[in-house]
Amino acid sequence: MKRILALILAVLMVFALCACGQAQAPAAEAPAAEAPAAEAPAAEEPAAPAAESVTLNVVTSYGGDDGNRANFEAAVKAYEEATGNKVNDGSATSNEEWKAKVLTDFETGSEPDVLFYFTNADAEPFISSGKVVSIEEIRAEYPDYATNMKDSMMAVASDGKQYAVPSSGYWENMFVNKKVLEDCGVAVPGPDYTWDQFLADCQTIKDAGYTPIACSLFEVPHYWFEFLVMNNGTVENHLDIPASVDDETGAKWVAALNDFKALYDAGFFPENTLTASDAETVEMFNQGEAAFLIDGSWKVGYFTGNAADLNDFAIAYVPGKGERSASEAIGGISMGYFITRKAWDDPAKRAAAVAFVSLLTSDEVLSTFVTTEVTALVNGAKPAGLNPLQQSAADTNANITAIAGAVQDLLTAEARGDLFSNIQNVVTGKMTPEDAVASALALN
Amino acid sequence: MNSMIYKKKTPLLLFLVPAFLFLAAFLFYPFVQNIINTFMKIGGLGRAAEGLNTPWYENYIRLFTDPYMRVAMKNTLVLILCTIVFQVGIALILALLVDGIRVGAQFFRTVYFFPIVISATALGLMFNLIFLYKGGMVNQLLLSLGQLETDVRPNGKVIVYWLDWKDQAHFLFTMLMPVMWQYVGFYFVIIVTGLNNISPDLFEAAALDGADGWNRTRYITLPLLRNVLCTCLVLAITGALKVFDLPWVMFGAGMPENQGWLTGTYMYDQTFNKMNVDYGSTIAVLIVVLGVVLSNISNRVFKPSEDL
Repeated sequence: MKRILALILAVLMVFALCACGQAQAPAAEAPAAEAPAAEAPAAEEPAAPAAESVTLNVVTSYGGDDGNRANFEAAVKAYEEATGNKVNDGSATSNEEWKAKVLTDFETGSEPDVLFYFTNADAEPFISSGKVVSIEEIRAEYPDYATNMKDSMMAVASDGKQYAVPSSGYWENMFVNKKVLEDCGVAVPGPDYTWDQFLADCQTIKDAGYTPIACSLFEVPHYWFEFLVMNNGTVENHLDIPASVDDETGAKWVAALNDFKALYDAGFFPENTLTASDAETVEMFNQGEAAFLIDGSWKVGYFTGNAADLNDFAIAYVPGKGERSASEAIGGISMGYFITRKAWDDPAKRAAAVAFVSLLTSDEVLSTFVTTEVTALVNGAKPAGLNPLQQSAADTNANITAIAGAVQDLLTAEARGDLFSNIQNVVTGKMTPEDAVASALALN
Repeated sequence: MNSMIYKKKTPLLLFLVPAFLFLAAFLFYPFVQNIINTFMKIGGLGRAAEGLNTPWYENYIRLFTDPYMRVAMKNTLVLILCTIVFQVGIALILALLVDGIRVGAQFFRTVYFFPIVISATALGLMFNLIFLYKGGMVNQLLLSLGQLETDVRPNGKVIVYWLDWKDQAHFLFTMLMPVMWQYVGFYFVIIVTGLNNISPDLFEAAALDGADGWNRTRYITLPLLRNVLCTCLVLAITGALKVFDLPWVMFGAGMPENQGWLTGTYMYDQTFNKMNVDYGSTIAVLIVVLGVVLSNISNRVFKPSEDL
């Protein structure tokens, strides 16, 4: 009996050790799958399939239900067929957790070969630690790399270099439900729309039994924050960060929060704006219960898929106040493709990574990602078959006189979170705007 | 023969070591590192510490001065209290009732246990729909019963003043009710198992002595269930400290107006949304300390009787 038990234990232990050992096996085979550099395709023209394929690890934000997921998959497939390389796609939906995961991957040495990521301060941790390759360095070997892009529109890092090849950009502006406006006898706002007109329209809409502004102050007050800050300053100084609550920029932010409170006190937000989710308020707008919604270019895809009739909606202008005109909006190109140092230093992957980015940012492929968004393409994008809402956005964008990036992107995650979670305290009078701004600045 | 195989302890130790090493790597080391992190300045997940805080115990000062932490503590203590009263209480009543019936007992056991096997995320989404502001199940029911005010505007549009189940007046009920409902079945099964272990001879003897149903429950069932109930209470208290998923799905970051925090949701928000990793670590330490202290207190207060 004792021998049998000992034998069983020994066999179990051998199985356990084997199980542990097997996890290593694929890793040992991995290098064989990666092709030598000499056989990798040229950068600018994805060449015929190489003798041995390279597996590129790619991380983008085109995951989940992203509106461009299908276009990204089509582009990846085209790359794989053209080069014979494989793409290990680790894409996910962009949010604060995804950003943190990407940064963690860089910290732990498990970064991808190609990364599609934000080009603002969010990228500084891996740029400053030399984990990505500058466009200048890539062009030294591949002179035609990203030459279809306007250099002036490529993001410049704190060291003065450019690292990311920009993809499509974004805009933020005011969506309107034309049916609700028509029921209330209110005209669709034009590029000369003023704050006073807007307040009068909101009152008319409220009196007619509709909610003037679809917005969850609990979840997404930031679109309104951007425009209210710009309304109390100018497009030129929009990206200034207050040094203190008492300086000129601090006063601008305080005035923006006061405007928030005025709109809330007037009852222009939904009754449950402090407890509703963004999805609830957007649906309220979609169902014809609210008139105005500030959102971004990405929301056009949502309405394209969910609106009963796209002709009921239009992209208009956020009312202007003070020195800001309604034709000035928030927008820019916030994301681009980085090639990591790890891939660049790997002779097997260097050319494959360059070819991948070149294909994904080519005029033809980028045009499939774009409907109304801005791009850095020298020749411009050529989107085809715009639906009524996309056409409305294109028409509005044609009248935009100036854009500024989102100032919230310059705040740390902690300061940003603190500021936006305190907006509900400001509108309910539990906190003064001055205290809310000071609290956020203390964490920045 | 059987006693002989345990004389050599080496094989047993060999098989205990991997589990110990696993725990050391994935529990003890992270826990110690977490305590160290509370004294450091860490600006994001995965980022290296930028040195010690100034003063090094800064996060602990903040812990006791942070108004939202006080809210989280208050709500968590309310949750613990409700857990004891409602989760274990309702489970006990249901178990006694089910134990008293002959037909359908198995059916009710399955039905009451069912919520446990559904993920908290799915339950959160379901209760979100039930308590939805516009057109939610409860609000539609209230509207059909004429319990909600309505108004007709000059243009003929009918306005319904829906009840906001997540506002300051209602959020505690809306948050705690699904949590209570979800875990009643868990304690129900434990108590039913305890009831099954009570010898039917005792009830027969009591019946012969003329004891009615209430007296049999009062003088036989409850005293003999004491140890089981003690276990349930300790599990309920420590479990309540860890509640996170269902309230997070339903209320997110502190809804309404930063009054809906629990220790678990506040820790998550600070760590993953605000990227304040060191402060999140400090809240985690507090949760562990609370868990140890409260489970010790409950163990002493509800000490199992050695006579049973």
